[in-house]
Amino acid sequence: MKMRNLLLIYLLVGSSVILTINNGAVFVNSEDAVEDEVEDDVDVEGEETAVTEEGEEEEEDEGGSEGDASPGASLDADTTILFTKPVTATGSLELPAGNLVELLIGFSNKGEQEFVLEAVDASFRYPMDFAFHIQNFSTIAYNKVVPPSQEATLAYSFIPSETFAGRPFGLSVNLHYRDSLSGAVYKESVYNETVQVVELEEGLDGETFFLYVFLAACAVLMLVAGQQLLASSVGRSGGGGGRRSGAGGLVGSLRGKGSGNYHMETGTNNPNDVDYDWVPPQMLNNLSKSPKQIKQSPRQRKAKRSAGADD
Amino acid sequence: MKMYRIQFLLAAFVALFATGLTDEEETSARLLVSKQILNKYLVEDMDIIVKYTLYNIGNSAALNVELNDNSFHPEAFDVVGGQLRVSLDRIPPGANVSHVAVVRPKKFGYFNFTAAEISYLPSEDAKEVQMAITSEPGEGVIIAFRDYDRKFSPHVLDWAAFAVMTLPSLGIPFLLWYSSKSKYETIVKHKKEKSRNKDD
Repeated sequence: MKMRNLLLIYLLVGSSVILTINNGAVFVNSEDAVEDEVEDDVDVEGEETAVTEEGEEEEEDEGGSEGDASPGASLDADTTILFTKPVTATGSLELPAGNLVELLIGFSNKGEQEFVLEAVDASFRYPMDFAFHIQNFSTIAYNKVVPPSQEATLAYSFIPSETFAGRPFGLSVNLHYRDSLSGAVYKESVYNETVQVVELEEGLDGETFFLYVFLAACAVLMLVAGQQLLASSVGRSGGGGGRRSGAGGLVGSLRGKGSGNYHMETGTNNPNDVDYDWVPPQMLNNLSKSPKQIKQSPRQRKAKRSAGADD
Repeated sequence: MKMYRIQFLLAAFVALFATGLTDEEETSARLLVSKQILNKYLVEDMDIIVKYTLYNIGNSAALNVELNDNSFHPEAFDVVGGQLRVSLDRIPPGANVSHVAVVRPKKFGYFNFTAAEISYLPSEDAKEVQMAITSEPGEGVIIAFRDYDRKFSPHVLDWAAFAVMTLPSLGIPFLLWYSSKSKYETIVKHKKEKSRNKDD
């Protein structure tokens, strides 16, 4: 029993001790939280400044890490850059959005040791703050060995995104290389300037081409419709006999007779104004002859019948 | 004061001359050489166009420029057009020269297109030959001619066979129609002649 009581006492004491300590800690934490809240309130007033502060922090971090990893360019190395596509005159570089940009990087080894060109990377940065990466391009590994007092050329190409047309960007092209003897790693920014990304105005876009085709089709349709309307209105007003007479003339010429003659004929035999233009001429011939034959020769028919009856 | 000014001017002149001298010392040619493969498809037994472009970005002419490409081994490639070993007397500063060679691979498979070598004299009075290497087109896959043909051949023979096969189904109805038409026309002619005789 005594042992149990002692244990209970220990437990109580221990828990109270922990609680008091925790209380103190909680109290301190809450104080911090209050301070943080106050700071947050202050920051909220200017969100932009908060963002730039973060950027600066990043930059500092990057700078620190880079400083640790690579001290920059080697004194024995000399690099140049040449944009071969697009070909630009002197002045600010203008890159066409959505099109291939090609560049050559020249590296000359002026030292006594071999250099190994490891990789080239490029990226678009925010021109006001180069710590902001807007578009990263592929890092191409070359692993090219450049012996002392020799030169090498590297080709690099990238395509700026079409969405960036009409805005300035900081283009940064970095060459990573190392000393093959000591293994020291270097990083040189071959190009680090603000460039303008421009939109190329293409001569003939697919969209515009089909728009023009559509417009042309519309125009042709309008013309055809207008012609139809005009022709029908002229035909109704009475002068449209020309068309019919023309057709009649064609039929007449097929029959080997004068057009006027034919027209007169149909006119006289047509009390119901039936148009016989579409009927083939030999049919018309038969039609105009057959009733006469039937009327004139009932005897002949009889004779034919009798001849048929023999069969 | 005057003395100071004169001294200052003198110092300035000296500085100018010094910089001028150093500039003169730095006049030398600097060549950037790109090697490009212009083909989209690399096909066994078909032409591959290789383009070398030499840019002189230095401020002096490059002399005795020699371009030598050993990367196309004669066992694996035939040179169809152009040369893989070129020498140019002079490339003026700010100028560029391009050279094209056409090769034909004998086998298919992966091939690593490596750099060509180049040597030149960076200035008129340079004694040491400057060595350089071009850019690398990198690894490319040469596809077999059969695969290429399957994708891009004009299929002339296939179309001819198709035409022959479709001939009966089109020709027989046409012959039937033509025979009936000619029959009808002869009948019409006969009737016309009869009617004319009657009219006369």
